[in-house]
Amino acid sequence: METVTKTPIKHTSVEEPRYKLIAENIVASYNGIVAVKNVSMKFKDKAVTALIGPSGCGKTTFLRTLNRMHELTKSAKVEGRVLLDGDDLYSSGEDAIIHRRKIGMVFQKPNPFPTMSIYDNVAAGLKLNGVKNKDVMDQIVKGCLEMVYLWDEVKHDLKKPGMSLSGGQQQRLCIARALAIQPEVLLMDEPASALDPIATQKIEEMMTELKKEYTIIIVTHNMQQAVRVSDYTGFMYLGDLVEFGETKQIFENPRNEITAKYVQGQFG
Amino acid sequence: MTRLIDPHLQKLSFLMEKMGALSVQSINSALDSYLEGKNVRSEAHKLAQEILGLYDEVGDLTFDMILRYQPVASDFRLIRSCIEVSYGFTRFGRYAYDITAVRDMFGDITECKNQVIYTLSGEIKHMISMAVQCFATLDLEKARQLKTDEDLVDRYYNKHLPMLINSDNVKCALADALVLRYLERIADHASFMGESVNYIVTGQRRYR
Amino acid sequence: MITIEQRAEFRKHFRNNISIRLAADKMIKGIVLGCVVIAIIPLGSILLEVVRNGVPALSIVFFTQEPGAIGSDQPGGIGPAIQGTLMLIGMSSLIGVPVGVLGGIFLSEFGNNRLGHMIRFFNDVLAEFPTIVIGLFAFIMIVLTFGYFSILAGTFALSIIMLPIITRTTEEALKLVPVTYREAGYALGVKRWIVITKILLTSAKSGLITGIMLAVARIGGETAPLIFTILGSDQFFSGFDQPMDALPLRIWRLSLLPYDTATAQGWGAALVLILIVLSLNIGVRYIFMRKHGGGGRFRIKAGG
Repeated sequence: METVTKTPIKHTSVEEPRYKLIAENIVASYNGIVAVKNVSMKFKDKAVTALIGPSGCGKTTFLRTLNRMHELTKSAKVEGRVLLDGDDLYSSGEDAIIHRRKIGMVFQKPNPFPTMSIYDNVAAGLKLNGVKNKDVMDQIVKGCLEMVYLWDEVKHDLKKPGMSLSGGQQQRLCIARALAIQPEVLLMDEPASALDPIATQKIEEMMTELKKEYTIIIVTHNMQQAVRVSDYTGFMYLGDLVEFGETKQIFENPRNEITAKYVQGQFG
Repeated sequence: MTRLIDPHLQKLSFLMEKMGALSVQSINSALDSYLEGKNVRSEAHKLAQEILGLYDEVGDLTFDMILRYQPVASDFRLIRSCIEVSYGFTRFGRYAYDITAVRDMFGDITECKNQVIYTLSGEIKHMISMAVQCFATLDLEKARQLKTDEDLVDRYYNKHLPMLINSDNVKCALADALVLRYLERIADHASFMGESVNYIVTGQRRYR
Repeated sequence: MITIEQRAEFRKHFRNNISIRLAADKMIKGIVLGCVVIAIIPLGSILLEVVRNGVPALSIVFFTQEPGAIGSDQPGGIGPAIQGTLMLIGMSSLIGVPVGVLGGIFLSEFGNNRLGHMIRFFNDVLAEFPTIVIGLFAFIMIVLTFGYFSILAGTFALSIIMLPIITRTTEEALKLVPVTYREAGYALGVKRWIVITKILLTSAKSGLITGIMLAVARIGGETAPLIFTILGSDQFFSGFDQPMDALPLRIWRLSLLPYDTATAQGWGAALVLILIVLSLNIGVRYIFMRKHGGGGRFRIKAGG
């Protein structure tokens, strides 16, 4: 299979990782109840940022504002700006939809399309976006399945139904599907919480590989997971961003008292 | 809300308290006996062994806690520092034993004037008890004080050690030199404990 | 690993037809909305007509008095018809609701076998039965046997009509309750029947009530079976062995008469029938749903 692209030239100098995604003054509410109160965060490129906090603190709501999923809920409102490579996602019009393609999302419960095969699942986004070239599709499907460490396990039979895979494999399939539309940013909402420890381990390994080329933002309940995979961590509580910083600093020496209490398990 | 780790943390602080008390006891008895000319080598040996036993227990407990509970933030800093501080306590026990060993090996040293040792031992006893208290109460003031005291001891040590070269009594000079050395090391470890306390409370390490 | 440059390359293969997709989106929305409007127009116009023509006929006399002589200036009212409809609905429900609900429970909880499939099949067949045939059946079974038209025959016919609707909707409502609730009940060592009544029925309450109200609305308006069973009358209820009146019958008879007053009364009766069904619906919901702030979470929409 011929590649369509040339291999990229390796940069000799170390790039200063820039901020890929910047959220400014996000206020999100359901039915008048404010779930996210004026939160601003900057996410570095080629890094994993974790969002932690007790249940109901607004971290999933905030995550969903980043790719404009929040407004799909009834009576949900969002204010603020989300800048992806400098362009505001919330400026209305067709530009927003193109930008939304640049942000992929993976959910807690694996949800591959039940009637489709493995290949069709991964290629679903491609077909909907009008890709006709079979070679390109094959390339993308193979590349994405390789990135999630699923290729070797399924390459012999891509026509198998997506639901015939195990839970961990299904979740990786969903991640491959999200990666197929070539996003720049990957949002993950507790991706491993429904999986067994070995499957979780595979997902975490995958994240450490993926972050070399993507910006990853993960919401997690599991603090040890945040320590293992993330470079930066944000702690949210009751809709506010209480503390944000390098993961090592947050977990070794949190500056805020509430953060210290939460990470040490004094409330949850 | 009691967490699963809390009873273990309590046990840890109990062990550290015991080690601290034993250290103070052994150093005090070693210095007093030395100045009075008594030989308490075997008692000092017993105390040092007891402290070592507690050190092993602390090591097992801290690793168990880290494996089971994966502590973070101040829990983690406390547990990590306990490993370092408990080592410091074993050093106290060891140096106390070494001081009594000098007396035992050198025999009767009543003719030595011991003036230097006398002055310094008061300071050292004070530092040890302050170090143990500083760790027990996580008192930053005491930690700062320990650092200044250690500087003092260092200067005293650097001043008086060369003076021993010109001493006429070889036996006394050697005994003094050895004991001075031990006292200086005790002071060092006491100030290390202060630094550990500073790390537990503020998360910053002071570089030596 | 797909690098950022490769991603940009791959993206070139995506079709950038956002404006076409947005336009198609709007168009489909418009078409769907249009269809909804078309579907509502007949309903709306019927209601409008009934209200427009029926309101002038309403009065206390209208509600409470027996019909007077036809064509005279004392047209009277439709009191017996109202009484008859209410009695028929009440008595039919007394038979139809318990049997139907129990049938629905059987099909949902114990009906995953051949017997259940068979019962379900026949239930569905009965639901589609022409009601005039059911009326004839009641005529043969009750009227001919006993020798007179009566409310009992009417009740018999209407409860047969009601039964399959309630059975089917009850079964659907119970099926919507997740298995996990049943499992939680059994795990507590609770007897099956208690699980069904205390846990399942209360969770499916909203769906059950919808089903029952659907059935009530259906039988409230059935005319054909009533012709052979209660016959019709100009007097208030006078005994379990006498014919009686009901609103659908009265509407039918009134609207066939050539007199204007009669037609006006017919519209009024139609309006009254609609109002009765509506208020029963709202009233029952209010009474039963108030307690748990919405009852079941598992609603079936009207139509089962």
